[in-house]
Amino acid sequence: MVNARTYLIVSSIVVLVLLASSILFFQHNAYLLVSFVIIACTMIPFFARFEIRKITGREVVILAILAAIAAVSRVPFAGFPSVQPTSFVIIVTGLVFGAESGFMVGAIAAIVSNFFLGQGPWTPWQMYGWGMMGMMAGLLRNTWWMKKMWGKLIFGFIWGYLFGWFMNAWIVVSNIENMTWEFFISIFVGSIYFDLAHGLSNVFFILIFSTSWIKIMNRFKKKYGLLVSS
Amino acid sequence: MENGIRGYHPYVVFFYYICTGFLVMYFKHPLFLATALIILICVNISHDRGKSLRKWMIPLMVMSLFFMVLNPFLVSRGTNILFYFRGKQVTLEATMYGVVMAIALVSVIVMFVSFNILLNGNKFLYIFSKVLPRTAFLLMLAIRFVPLLKSRFDEIRAVQRVRGTTMTVGTLRQRARNGMYMIQVLLTWSLEEAIQTADSMKARGYGIGKKTSYIPYRMEKRDWGWLATLLVLFSVCIWGGMLGYGKIVIYPELGTLHLYVLDWILFVCMTIILAFPLIVEGRERLRWKY
Repeated sequence: MVNARTYLIVSSIVVLVLLASSILFFQHNAYLLVSFVIIACTMIPFFARFEIRKITGREVVILAILAAIAAVSRVPFAGFPSVQPTSFVIIVTGLVFGAESGFMVGAIAAIVSNFFLGQGPWTPWQMYGWGMMGMMAGLLRNTWWMKKMWGKLIFGFIWGYLFGWFMNAWIVVSNIENMTWEFFISIFVGSIYFDLAHGLSNVFFILIFSTSWIKIMNRFKKKYGLLVSS
Repeated sequence: MENGIRGYHPYVVFFYYICTGFLVMYFKHPLFLATALIILICVNISHDRGKSLRKWMIPLMVMSLFFMVLNPFLVSRGTNILFYFRGKQVTLEATMYGVVMAIALVSVIVMFVSFNILLNGNKFLYIFSKVLPRTAFLLMLAIRFVPLLKSRFDEIRAVQRVRGTTMTVGTLRQRARNGMYMIQVLLTWSLEEAIQTADSMKARGYGIGKKTSYIPYRMEKRDWGWLATLLVLFSVCIWGGMLGYGKIVIYPELGTLHLYVLDWILFVCMTIILAFPLIVEGRERLRWKY
């Protein structure tokens, strides 16, 4: 297996070459394709890690069910725009089962829910956005402020915006020829309320349900010895 | 054995979608894109008489209208000014760009609708199980759990309704709280069941050897033939596109829409690539009749 540094160097070179060639040969027209390659390069290590890691059947099934719950929970909330517990489920998974599991559940939940809500070019962006949300929750779970309720609340609120901005970036990249600052600003201004709703619903769910969900998941983790090492 | 395009090897079909997706985002000429859209719609009709596409009709129309109308009013780049709207210039270039973007986006989504029909379940798993076996497995498990969780959730909802916990009445806060409470019930129930699923998987030998596919797909002569054809045509398209054919200059001033000889060659190549499922289906239907 290639080590992390080699991978980083190789993928940076690939991205750099692609960016340069997109300017030289494609007259700035291929940014959307290049952005897909960049996203793929950043996500490959996580999937590769999941493939080579020692993991039992039980753990795979638990991750699958968490991803399915995250995806399904969009359905009963379909009536409220931007209010969905998917982010909450992903954050809690990251907090309990660690960064790698958080990423996998986030990324898989994005694909699965899009099988029902419509697959499209935005799927990789959602995978990445939700995957990073779960990963960050897992990475920060041992910091002192993440153990406090207010730390989690701030985390959830900020990620409501980060996720929204990330999805805006997709619109900008797919419209790169159109790029003017007005266009850029109008997209980000247009999404403020949706992101606010997302952030606030995260805060709401974390405030009321995070304690009991973390307790339930921790109990399972301890009872069956799941994903303890990560 | 399935007929028509469904009988082809998943790799070939997957490569077809890669080519299609790439080309639709690659070419910018309205004629190219409009043809691509029409062909892709025909491909969808050839799958299931357009049944699954019909569900997408309204969102697609709204989205394309949104792009076509919003773009000229939002972006004022360009040289040829059509008219002024509230002191902002509405340009021919921005209008054109909106149309091109809208067609490209709609084509990509129509392509994904067809993708979901052709490469579902087993085939999807087959393609990724060679590269990312465990991730593909995790994905398939999660997809399978969704209908299961839905039916469980309906059960929970029915029980909770008797207790007076519903999502239909009350303030937004209350409804969200009740909804989440039911999902929590679902979580506890499903985690417990998941352990049983895993144990029964283990009892049947999960993780002992390499995973095999339920249906053994084999690359036949016709699969190799089409793969090679698609590859050659695709390379021609990429090469032509790099020289600037099949595209138009939009900003800062709209270039000519005139098609040169090379444009037509690229156009034919692209049409053949996109029409691959139609050609296969059509030939099979002809053979059946005569």
